[in-house]
Amino acid sequence: MAPVTLNNVAKRFGAFEVVHGANIDIKDGEFVVFVGPSGCGKSTLLRMIAGLEDISGGEIAIGGKVVNDVEPADRGIAMVFQSYALYPHMSVEQNLSFGLRMTGNPKADTDRRVKRAAEILRISELMDRRPKKLSGGQRQRVAIGRAIVREPQVFLFDEPLSNLDAELRVQMRVEISRLHKELGTTMVYVTHDQTEAMTLADRIVVLRAGHIEQIGPPLELYENPDNLFVAGFVGSPKMNFIKGRIVGRDARGVLVELAGQEKTRITQPLTGTAPEVGSKVIVGVRPEHFGDAGEGDADLVVGIDVIEHLGGTSFLYARTVHGEDVVIQRDAAKVPETPEITASIRKSYLFDDKGLRLR
Amino acid sequence: MSSLSSARLRRSIALHLFLTPLALIWLFPLWMMVVFSTMPDNGIFSPGIELLPHGNFLDNFHNLQRDTDFVGAILISVSVAVTYTVLSVLLTSMAGWALARYKFFGKGVVVAIILGTITLPYAVVLIPQFIMVARDFQLANTWVALIVPPLFNSLGVLFMRQSFSMMPDDLFDAARVEGVKEWRIFLFVALPLARPMLAALAIILFLASWNNYLWPLLINSQPGSMTAPVALGTLIGLTKVSWGGIMAGAVMLTVPMLIVFVLLQRHFIAGIAAGAVK
Amino acid sequence: MRNRNATAYRFLAPYLLIFSVFWVWPIISSFMISFQATRTVPWRFAPGFNWGRLIGDPAFFNALKNTLLILVIQVPVMIALAMVMAVLLNSPLLKARGLYRFAFFAPVVVGEVAYSAVFRLMFSLDFGIVNKLLNSIGLPKIDWFSNVTPAMALIMIAVTWRWAGYNAIILLAGMQSIPEDVYEAATLDRVSKLKQFFYITVPLLKPVIVFCTVLSIIGTMQLFTEPFLITERGGPGGGTETLGLLLYRQGFRSLNFGYASAVAYTMAALAIAITLVQLWLTREKQ
Repeated sequence: MAPVTLNNVAKRFGAFEVVHGANIDIKDGEFVVFVGPSGCGKSTLLRMIAGLEDISGGEIAIGGKVVNDVEPADRGIAMVFQSYALYPHMSVEQNLSFGLRMTGNPKADTDRRVKRAAEILRISELMDRRPKKLSGGQRQRVAIGRAIVREPQVFLFDEPLSNLDAELRVQMRVEISRLHKELGTTMVYVTHDQTEAMTLADRIVVLRAGHIEQIGPPLELYENPDNLFVAGFVGSPKMNFIKGRIVGRDARGVLVELAGQEKTRITQPLTGTAPEVGSKVIVGVRPEHFGDAGEGDADLVVGIDVIEHLGGTSFLYARTVHGEDVVIQRDAAKVPETPEITASIRKSYLFDDKGLRLR
Repeated sequence: MSSLSSARLRRSIALHLFLTPLALIWLFPLWMMVVFSTMPDNGIFSPGIELLPHGNFLDNFHNLQRDTDFVGAILISVSVAVTYTVLSVLLTSMAGWALARYKFFGKGVVVAIILGTITLPYAVVLIPQFIMVARDFQLANTWVALIVPPLFNSLGVLFMRQSFSMMPDDLFDAARVEGVKEWRIFLFVALPLARPMLAALAIILFLASWNNYLWPLLINSQPGSMTAPVALGTLIGLTKVSWGGIMAGAVMLTVPMLIVFVLLQRHFIAGIAAGAVK
Repeated sequence: MRNRNATAYRFLAPYLLIFSVFWVWPIISSFMISFQATRTVPWRFAPGFNWGRLIGDPAFFNALKNTLLILVIQVPVMIALAMVMAVLLNSPLLKARGLYRFAFFAPVVVGEVAYSAVFRLMFSLDFGIVNKLLNSIGLPKIDWFSNVTPAMALIMIAVTWRWAGYNAIILLAGMQSIPEDVYEAATLDRVSKLKQFFYITVPLLKPVIVFCTVLSIIGTMQLFTEPFLITERGGPGGGTETLGLLLYRQGFRSLNFGYASAVAYTMAALAIAITLVQLWLTREKQ
């Protein structure tokens, strides 16, 4: 078990910089998830920790030791790949033991480790099968088993669930959570799926275009996003963004008018410096933070396009008079029958025109 | 429906009526090779039309062996072709692996030289190769002369490079993370996965070596060091030579390859077609 | 990928060594030899010696003419034939496909010497099966070996027989990589099979057709064994002498390496020109 420290880590392909000086402190035994849209550099970052990519700048330390020039095998890591990367010409048992056999690990110890991993993942009956004869979930278990066998200080997961169907994905997610509890090992996990990040992580690192946007526990990212990108990325359905303008300010906060709706004004308390009157801002409202008319600070009139019923709750896909799309979450019992409704805003976030959170 | 199927039937009949004679013409030389190899010389050179095999193959074979040591030549051919194939598959797959799987200094230059010179005619290197092997290295009429120079062939490199680069990266990275040395990854992961491609390559290389004529003709012209095609070629055009014997030799060169072709047709065709899909 | 110079070169080195010694260096060396007078000891640098002789050598022009003649007639006929074979072998209406494939593809494994011998026997004047068959249907015998035109025809027939199936294999593989639904869509649009061939198959197959053509041209350009063995060293009277044969005679019968290298580089120049045409023909359209 070991902490992982990234100190100003950068990756360049020629003149093209894909990771710009990342600083991350992963504590011993922590489960950290790198999340972001494709091309944000999250996989590159993981592969640099693994030693599969050269580090163009900065330092990576595992267990307090700088590993920039250490071979992947000597970093004390094990990795689970998106494609599982099982050797198709070997049985499950051979897959699990291959690395240890090839590096001259004593046979008795190899057998012990393979047996233990198989028990942890409940794949003991599959040991003689070839990967082709396994289901997606079983392959995933073998891939994780191959990592466990190495008894690493750090587990690295590169989008391990993205090739599974929805149901299996949930199941394996729980499985990985259980594994983390059982082993207590540091885990670094890469995904583009914010739900996975929210459910698995002790802390989430949100990345965009090679920059770290925010690091924090899942709920903190949800409740207290630093910027427009994080606010929009965390939470499902995503936060609604409505254009607005500052129309007044005092010591405690600002008054915001929503574009095209002079009557809808929101008072937003701010502790920092408030922007000047007249400056453009963006108001973020989560679908679950809309209430019935009169319940909140301000009322918003919207026309409903489509209603999605999910059983307990429903989502209203609607449009403001100014033409901005909004999604509103409602109890199924409270779905309106009129094509136009008034919804109140119970809670909102304010962002300046550069996308930074105003607090 | 019935009009559709009757139109299909008509088309099908026309297709077979055209293709069958063409196929028979194409098979004719091979058939005649077998027929000639079983006929006595005075039968081959007689005015009648003979289209069916006789029973003189063994006599012809004895005549051939009298004209030249064909059995010895066949043994040389087999040994050379096997050695060449093993070496060439090994060398070209190693090179293909390096080009497909590593980033390294000078890679672009190596690829450019291989691709840029691949369409140059073999005739261009014939003379320097001959001078080098025969005069500088003094290796004429040896097995080394037959096996080593033709190893330059870069088709295998391109074919294996293509094959290896189509394999998923993760597979090799997984092994790397586990501390498996690169040559073991090549040997125990990459090569087993490339088995069908290696088979296709091996067949094509074996055939090329087995049938190679010009280079062995130039470099190993001494009796006792000739390959089978060269030994057979020396007889063609001589007077007082058994043509039934020559045909028996031709059959011995051809029929084993035809059997291999039938048995391993899929690999064979993959090997030939691969040239076009690079 | 990480930079792995040492590892890469360890894998590459054995092949690279052979490739440099027996391919790259000879290409350079051959070029230099073509500028040397090689019939004196030691060889001396004489740039005009071989090339000057080449330009005025009727034997060279005869060989060049014959080679080009074979190229111009044999290659297009063979590619067209290979195309026909490939299309018909690809037809879903064909029964006993394996037998037909065997018939057309089998020559691919037959060695040059073996088939040259058979063709010599089959086409011999008095006892050859071909003339006997011509006679039996009332046609006159043809003297395939003593007259230039039939001798050239014989060479072309032999080469076509040996290589048409080879090209058909490549073309067939190309055809099978064209997705089936393109044809299904065309059939639904009532496009006839013939039009599908000309407007779908041929354009999509163009790079493969060009590849086959270039391969065949470069192969035929080096033609050696067939005129060497079938028409007896390029007979009658040099009537089927090719550049390959001229190179052989100059280089290895007269041991005139300098002149033979000049002949070789003439072939190389032709090959380069043809490859450039290929690149131009198959260039990516914007």
